[in-house]
Amino acid sequence: MISPLRAIPKHTVVAFAALGLLWSGAASAGEIEESNSACLDCHDGEDSAIHFADGSTITVGISADSWKKSAHSTEVRCKDCHTTIKDHPHPAVNFATKRAYQLDRAQTCKRCHYAYHTKAQDSIHAKELAKGNDKAPTCTDCHGVHNETDRASRQAVTLRCGNCHAKVAEQYAQSVHGAAWGKASVNVPMCVDCHGAHAIMDPRKAAFHTRSWDICSKCHSDAEKMAGTGLSTKVVETYLDDFHGRSNERYAQGAGSPRKPIATCSDCHGVHDIRSFRAAKKNGTLQSEVIVACRKCHKDAPPAFADAWLSHDPPTLASAPLVVLIQWGYRVLIPLIMAGLVLHILLHLWRARVHR
Amino acid sequence: MTRIITRKDGSVWVERFTPIRRAEHILVLLTFVALTVTGLPQKFEGDNANALLAALGGLDKARWLHRLAGMVFAVHASLHIAVFILGLMRHKMRWSLLPTIQDLRDALGTLRYYFGLRPDAPELPKFDYRQKFEYLGMVLGGLVMVATGLILLYPTTLAAWLPGSLIPAAFVAHSNEAMLALLVLVVWHVYGSHLSPEVFPMDTSVFTGFLRKDELRERHTKEFRRLFPNEPVHAHEPKPQVAAPTDAN
Repeated sequence: MISPLRAIPKHTVVAFAALGLLWSGAASAGEIEESNSACLDCHDGEDSAIHFADGSTITVGISADSWKKSAHSTEVRCKDCHTTIKDHPHPAVNFATKRAYQLDRAQTCKRCHYAYHTKAQDSIHAKELAKGNDKAPTCTDCHGVHNETDRASRQAVTLRCGNCHAKVAEQYAQSVHGAAWGKASVNVPMCVDCHGAHAIMDPRKAAFHTRSWDICSKCHSDAEKMAGTGLSTKVVETYLDDFHGRSNERYAQGAGSPRKPIATCSDCHGVHDIRSFRAAKKNGTLQSEVIVACRKCHKDAPPAFADAWLSHDPPTLASAPLVVLIQWGYRVLIPLIMAGLVLHILLHLWRARVHR
Repeated sequence: MTRIITRKDGSVWVERFTPIRRAEHILVLLTFVALTVTGLPQKFEGDNANALLAALGGLDKARWLHRLAGMVFAVHASLHIAVFILGLMRHKMRWSLLPTIQDLRDALGTLRYYFGLRPDAPELPKFDYRQKFEYLGMVLGGLVMVATGLILLYPTTLAAWLPGSLIPAAFVAHSNEAMLALLVLVVWHVYGSHLSPEVFPMDTSVFTGFLRKDELRERHTKEFRRLFPNEPVHAHEPKPQVAAPTDAN
């Protein structure tokens, strides 16, 4: 099972934070306040800058107001993160670029948040960074610097992904999920619900594709989450009964990887631009829309091919008479034939005994 | 002609399956096992299915083997039926494996005998109604499997000619018919050819091709009378005075 968004229990975080503080020399609330206000005396609103070798700069000023609202203000001293700074004047900062400096600073997060750091090491972002792509985000790019809030709202997190993934964010905003933001935001999935927050897997990988139905299943098989949407909660169940679903389920369970990708939810419904087929269902144009999806893989599929699709409701006598009749035919025939054969065998055995 | 041979120990054996039929049985045995082993883990899920798929080299490999075995079976079934139809048309083959009204009478007679409503079991022909049932089930079930299997393998081709709703119907039929075939094989064939007191532990005639004369007299009395018209079946019977039949097989 994939569960990308698993919160680490609060006490674990606190324990790690406490460990980190012990390591850097435990400080009481009063000490923290005193130490930090000494820094803020100069740095609050200060607009002088650090200059890097490539000409880029970063201002040394922060806003004392936003710092005091951040989750760290009462827990961490400035020098717990700015480890190279002991006293005044500060040692020179020697980095080729602003980004190199930022990436280096973000290395201090793991001193307290080690579990999240470990998780993030498996992510596509960490792998991109390791490859030398310095556009990939590190902790502070999503959580902020000097203004880290305890738990950013889900919407705020999603908007941050859009800072880099602008095109995807735009597609998402127009999708059935994105468009429902104002209406029922609690149940609407956002970036992290599908991709995870820290251990973000490369979604272009085949393994992500073969398992992606499981992500959709988290909400679409949940009657509580689907309440009021008018959507069937059997979508994943019916998918797994189908050739495509059965195949991807087996691959997900370790039966190799498909030679050709086999259709999963997103191949018909869209990835970020997920759309509804409801209008097509009402207008009676469903078949012509479904066949477009079929032809993504079955290139030469004739229009009648779309009739093979049984919809996301379990087949009924009205929706798929042939399937239901065959199913029931065998449900009657198999026990009947087998009972007859077993009875015949028992009679034969009984007679053979009596005869002897 | 039905071959009758005498072995060195003096026992007389009657040919039941020509070498081609024996080869066909082995081919069906192999394809059936291959199709079952590669098909079951596609139908059922769970740890056993996954272990079997892993042993086969993954789902794709299992499907490839399944289709290969299916193709071999399909070609075999087509040839088998074509040869039989041609054989019938040219009067070179008998209706010995397909059911007749007499088989229904034999089945009812056997049941009456089982219930003690008649003193003796009916005399049965070369292939009795139990064997014909199995053969017919194999051929008809095989045709269902081949037809639905081809639909599932070439769904877009089918939809060009026939309604697309046949595809999910074929999916259900293929899966269920396979279960029926497997159950009949495990229960009926294993009993009839292995566990039945008459043949235990095994009726070897489908591999050796020959059945001993006394077994033929016991189990396929009608065929015995046809082949040995001058020999009594029971000790008290008078010698029948019938001309030897013209035989064709």
